[in-house]
Formats: sequence, structure tokens, C-alpha cells
Amino acid sequence: MKKLLLAAIFTLSSQSVLAHTLWVMPSHFVLSGEDTWISVDVSAANMTFVADKGVSPDSLRIIFPDGQSQPFAQQYQGKRKSQADHQLVADGTYLIENGGAPRYFTLFEVNGERKRIMADKKAAMSELPKHATKITTSRSQSKALAVVTVNAPNRKAITPKGEGFEVNFVTHPADYVAEDAIQWQLLIEGKPAAGVKVELSREGELYRNNAARVTLESDTEGKLQFTPEHAGRYLLEASYQANTVTALADNERASLTLTFEVGVP
Amino acid sequence: MRRIPQSCIAIALLACSPLQAVEAEINVHIPQIETAQYYRPYVAVWIENAEQEPVKLVALWRKEPDWLKDIRRFWRKLGRSDAALVDAMTGATRSPGQYRLHWQGDDDQGQALPKGKYTLYVEASREQGGRSLQKIAFELDGKPYQLRATALEELGELVFTIK
Repeated sequence: MKKLLLAAIFTLSSQSVLAHTLWVMPSHFVLSGEDTWISVDVSAANMTFVADKGVSPDSLRIIFPDGQSQPFAQQYQGKRKSQADHQLVADGTYLIENGGAPRYFTLFEVNGERKRIMADKKAAMSELPKHATKITTSRSQSKALAVVTVNAPNRKAITPKGEGFEVNFVTHPADYVAEDAIQWQLLIEGKPAAGVKVELSREGELYRNNAARVTLESDTEGKLQFTPEHAGRYLLEASYQANTVTALADNERASLTLTFEVGVP
Repeated sequence: MRRIPQSCIAIALLACSPLQAVEAEINVHIPQIETAQYYRPYVAVWIENAEQEPVKLVALWRKEPDWLKDIRRFWRKLGRSDAALVDAMTGATRSPGQYRLHWQGDDDQGQALPKGKYTLYVEASREQGGRSLQKIAFELDGKPYQLRATALEELGELVFTIK
């Protein structure tokens, strides 16, 4: 009974978090000086940058300008948001990433009722009820990104690795300025991801009647272009689904969010 | 590099770029601001070419490196990438008043700039205050003139004179 209840809670909580948008929000995007610190908030919510659910910061990493990945030095999980701090001892561009290994879940029907278990195709075989029908297993991976630059920018930490769903920062994030075009390229396994729908939102939605979100779609080269009208902090949300059949899943879903700052001209 | 081509000197000085002996004056005005906590602003004065690339840092008045990033355009365009130039050009912050800066039409390497379109930028950022950016587009063409940019919150009227 206890086990069942726990499983139910896990399913519920992961569902409710899944329905929200996860983001990371660094205290600064641009820093000058030597030996400085960054604090990062992690939360998931429906309204951009209005903290709602404090997500575990356990899988939060910071990639240093030399490409080395490190866990955060100190962290705290709060109810509405979580926080982590790290010392930035090197000059250059850092990538903050909250994302873990892919998760698998299997959807099925028993006696006309839709159900879900957190299991990949192989594991589901032994866990599924005998009369389960309409069985599909999805591979799901999500990550939240932000880029921070101390003194002169570089590109080592933000260069795509050719793995999974990624952003290629055509315009360096330290150069985003209101009224100037920003370019990104979306990649799947290092190849251009065409036709991916992306939503852009700007902070302060709570104080505007019209959230004024912008929807874009990546072109044949996977490219996106956006010219922000206002300086401020923005969130880019992108996700794609594909019927990629593997030994562990029938399809895949990948999503990412990117928190970025647009400076004054 | 920006050397004067020998042939230019030999043929006809006037027809050639770069220009000789520019004598420019930049009048920067830090206004008096009545406030409970007044800190002197961080100020940068520099020149960008037609491609919006910085070519000459004329003045930089600042204290702590931590707040250099708040001179936003200056930081993005040159401050973050040229620590040596920033160190070499650093001067103390200034109290409210009029300041007369001189520029000889040269770049950061001391070479005369070629004829063409440029923009003068003056940016000020004050702790617990605002940020202002003034710009004056001008042409280095050997002619004398005077251009002005209107006063903003953190910067009084800017006057740029080529003699």
C-alpha cells in the first residue's frame, strides 16, 4: 500500500512539474572584476519568472569557460524556488545547465482507463498488467539553460556537443541588445532541427495585460531569428517530438528552456 | 595596420587619408544631482568607426572593476575585451562640473585615423542613480565644425568641436 501511494505521489508530482516550465535564473548575466560569485534560482511555473515550484537543484551544473563541468558549491531547495551559488574564478563564458539523464515513461490502457508508469520499454514488460493495451513508451529529456559571462566572452562552454537537443548560439549571449537581431540554431544530434516551434516570453507578464509572447519556428537550417524590442530578461522554450524507435522507447520528446538577458543599446 | 602609405605622402597630402593633425575638443558635463546618497558616476568616452567598432578610448573615470559592467555599451564594446587598455586609460571618478578633453584624431595605437564616418560616445552610470548614453555622429574630413548632444539625466550637454 505504502509503495503504491509513493508511486502515485511521484507520478503526480512529476506530472505537475512537467506541466510547468522549468527555468534557471542567474543573479547576473554579465560580470566584471576578479573572483566573483553567481547565485542561480531554479523554479518551475506557468508564468515566466514568477517562481512557483522549487525544483531539486541536484542536477544543476556549471560548465566553466575551459569546458570543465562542476556541480554547484552550495545549494538549497525551497518551496517556490531553489537556489545554488558558485564562485566564478575564471574569465570567460559559463553555461548553467539544469537537466538530467533521459526519463522513460510508458502509457497504456487497462479496461478503458489510461495509465502511466515510469519505465522504459524493457522494464515495462515485467511491470505492465496482463491485459494492458495501447502501450507506448516515450523517452523524455529536458534541460534549462542560462549563459553568464565574466569579463571577455569565449565559446568553449557553449559550443554544441552534437548530442541530443541543443542550441547553437550563433549570436553570443553576451552581445544580445535591444533592437539588434539575435540568432540561434537548434540542433538534434548535431544536425539542424527544422520546423521546431519556439515560444519567447519576457519578464513582467504579471504586470501586463498582454503577455505578448512570440512564437517562432526554426527554418530549414534550424535557425531562429528574433529582434527584441525591449531590454530585459527573456525565456525561450523549445520542444520537439519524434517517432524515434529504439530498444527502450517508441518515441522521444525533448525540450529545453534558455533564460537570456537583452541589454540596453 | 593604420600606417600612412608612403605613396600618399609623396603625391598629395590633402587627397589622402588618414588626416593630419586633427585638433578636437570634447566637452563633457557631469551635472549636479541633488540626492541623499550621491556617488560620482563612472564615465567612459570613446569613438567607434562606421562598423561600430571601438577605435579610440578617450577617457575612463571609474573605481571598482565590479561596476565597470554597468557602463553597459562601453563594457560590451571594449571594456570586457581589453583589460590592458582599460587599465592604461583608467582615471579617478570626477565630481560634477565641466571637463574638457582633447583628441588628436588618433586611434588607441596612436595612429591617425583615416577619413570617414565615426561616432563619439559618452556613457555615464551612477551607483544608486541612472545611466545615460550620448552619441554624436561625425565625419573626419579635415573641416572644422561643432556638434552637440542634448543633456540627459546623468550627463549635461555634450559639445564636440573640431578646430
